[in-house]
Amino acid sequence: MKKIVIGLLAISNIIFVSCSSDDDVTTPVDPAVVAPATYAFSRDGISTVDYNGQTTRIEMGDELISALTDNTKTEAQLDGMFAHIEGENNFSDADLNASNKSIRSKTAASSDYFSANTTDANAIKADFDTWIANQVTEVFPNWNIIATAGNAGNLQEAGGGATRYINGKGLEYNQAVNKGLIGALMVDQILNNYVSTSVLDAGTNRADNDAGIVAEGKSYTNMEHKWDEAFGYLYGTDNAENPILNEDSFLNKYVSRVENDADFTGIASEIYEAFKLGRAAIVAKNYTVRDAQANIIREKISEIIAIRAVYYLQQAKNFLDSDKAAAFHDLSEGFGFIYSLQFTRKPGTNEPYFTKSEVDGFIAELMIGNGFWDVTPATLDEISNTISAEFNFTTAQAGS
Amino acid sequence: MIKKIFPVVFLVLSIIACSSDDNTITTPPNEGGNDVVFSRASMLRNFADNIIIPSYQELSDNLDALEIAKDGFIAAPSQPTLDNFRAAWLTAYKSWQRVEIFDIGKAEEIQLNFQMNIYPVNTADVEANVSAGFYDLSSPNNHDAIGFPALDYLLYGVGATDIEIIEKYDTDPQAENYKDYLSAVTNRMKFITQLVLSDWIVNYQNVFAASTENNASSAANKIVNDFIFYYEKGLRANKIGIPAGNFSSTPLPDRVEAFYNQEISKELALDALNAVQNMFNGISTVDNAEGQGFKTYLQSLDREDLADLINEKFNAAREKMQLLDANFTTQINTDNTKMTEAYDALQAAVVLLKVDMLQAFNIAVDYVDADGD
Repeated sequence: MKKIVIGLLAISNIIFVSCSSDDDVTTPVDPAVVAPATYAFSRDGISTVDYNGQTTRIEMGDELISALTDNTKTEAQLDGMFAHIEGENNFSDADLNASNKSIRSKTAASSDYFSANTTDANAIKADFDTWIANQVTEVFPNWNIIATAGNAGNLQEAGGGATRYINGKGLEYNQAVNKGLIGALMVDQILNNYVSTSVLDAGTNRADNDAGIVAEGKSYTNMEHKWDEAFGYLYGTDNAENPILNEDSFLNKYVSRVENDADFTGIASEIYEAFKLGRAAIVAKNYTVRDAQANIIREKISEIIAIRAVYYLQQAKNFLDSDKAAAFHDLSEGFGFIYSLQFTRKPGTNEPYFTKSEVDGFIAELMIGNGFWDVTPATLDEISNTISAEFNFTTAQAGS
Repeated sequence: MIKKIFPVVFLVLSIIACSSDDNTITTPPNEGGNDVVFSRASMLRNFADNIIIPSYQELSDNLDALEIAKDGFIAAPSQPTLDNFRAAWLTAYKSWQRVEIFDIGKAEEIQLNFQMNIYPVNTADVEANVSAGFYDLSSPNNHDAIGFPALDYLLYGVGATDIEIIEKYDTDPQAENYKDYLSAVTNRMKFITQLVLSDWIVNYQNVFAASTENNASSAANKIVNDFIFYYEKGLRANKIGIPAGNFSSTPLPDRVEAFYNQEISKELALDALNAVQNMFNGISTVDNAEGQGFKTYLQSLDREDLADLINEKFNAAREKMQLLDANFTTQINTDNTKMTEAYDALQAAVVLLKVDMLQAFNIAVDYVDADGD
């Protein structure tokens, strides 16, 4: 495997030199670690990259959010998809049914944030349980009734657009679950678990990695595998060596959305490069470079969440009067991204950009009274600006 | 979710011979005939006085006639009264093609386009409204159950034959409900059009003409954007691209405009292209005189080359569209390549309008593609 890395390094140097008209070749961040061209790593000719458990959970999530808008589903069926038990027929995909993975067990379950805070972890899991239950008890019975302030039902977007199914406050529970999981599952597991030293260096991981000792029966070291699991929560349904993005309904999709905003073009590549270099650093046993990449990943993925939170609040302002269904749909997505802010991670710290109680405060502001039926543009601006102020972007940049 | 829409362009065509409509296209004046110095104010004045308001007036008049024809049909459902109603519907629908571009002022405020021409019509919603006997036609939930497409269904689609259709309004157990719905839809179209026309005459005409600044909220910038948006979405995508399958994995032949009528989707699309080209060239709806428009605006910026090129593309698109079957559904089902060729010809002008023309005008695009989720 070392040979391969060196080989790729040599190739990339050749390319670099040949492209450069400048003799003064920039020195790499750390000459000891050079990322390969793609996220491909192997040992003795066998790939060491594996994140099938992450792919499985993303696929479970896709089935779950699709089922949330099928009003023939029962609460038990939806709960079974959220908290799958091995062998139960919760999904249409037999491989998912056979899996021993579950979404719920990894919801708000990171080592850094929740191993010593099961109180919040339980409260967050309970939020998802409640949204799922309420979808069945509040929204499904009113599926064919037009919603009004205080009463669940459906609203169709203007111009013959999509029909949205909302609770009495205008919230689409399916969006709360979908966008909330981006934070509670993907972001939390990546930023606060798998790229954390508490996980990467757990037990004898570092000594084993230094000695090239692989996990029992596997081609990878434990540390390599942990990093890959972080990678898998973002790219698990995508092409690891040439990510297409927008391949699932979770974080992968919204990296694509932000990338396609001209104000943030390049962010997708920054994230991918950091994953790649961090993994190469593990191979090179350079943990300084590894942890520097972890911080880049934390900063950039936190930005993805914050940008989308602000984006949806700002978009909703355009439709509050003219098109309630469109506005409420944006606000429901925004609700989920705001909820996800509590799982972000300021680089170099053990803290989110917004704490759970701050997030709860935003949610309370949005949902007071009749919720989205009552919310004002001033409130949406205030929350947007509060979020933007903690990041390197303006509300205007994120909002369009 | 359509975020915004817009402009229109007209072209001068090589033309008159190509047009089935007497009043849409005119030959341009002689070279060098633009003696009037161009100004944004004079362009907006020409649009308001000679294109927009006369076009709304014509639509309003035709909707008055439609209401009378509807009353005649309801009073005595029969083949002659049905034929009369259908003819009035077609006349009004054709005049609608001239105003859909102007999504500004009161029309933008009340979402006139969404209330007049969202297709495909949601026939399940129409039937549910009819059965219920009560409905709020102002609700966005009903945007796809009202307007010209709803009448298309009610006049051509509720029965397999004309006899069956007439029975719906005569001997059917729900005949009274059908008649009520027909009335409610028709009357609302007249009412909201009148609302927009009145606002233009009483209030907006001068506001519009004076709003010449170069910023995102000025009428000048908005009408330019409205024009391009309409060309791209209302004409190119809705009438041709979507049914031809350019935005889906397979063609969607039931998405054509006036699907139930089965004879006029091409005619309406050509009317729309003429409306676009006439506005581009500043041609009056009243007397076909050429005045200030996007063409003269480009000429004033020494971009006559671009104006000519855009007109060429419009003409080329018209030629492609004229090759199509009168019923786009038939065209798609027999030889969809001709549809996609028409789409490609329309698309050829999009970049010229959206990039080159806007750069020349130094105006920013004010709409984006919908998020899609």
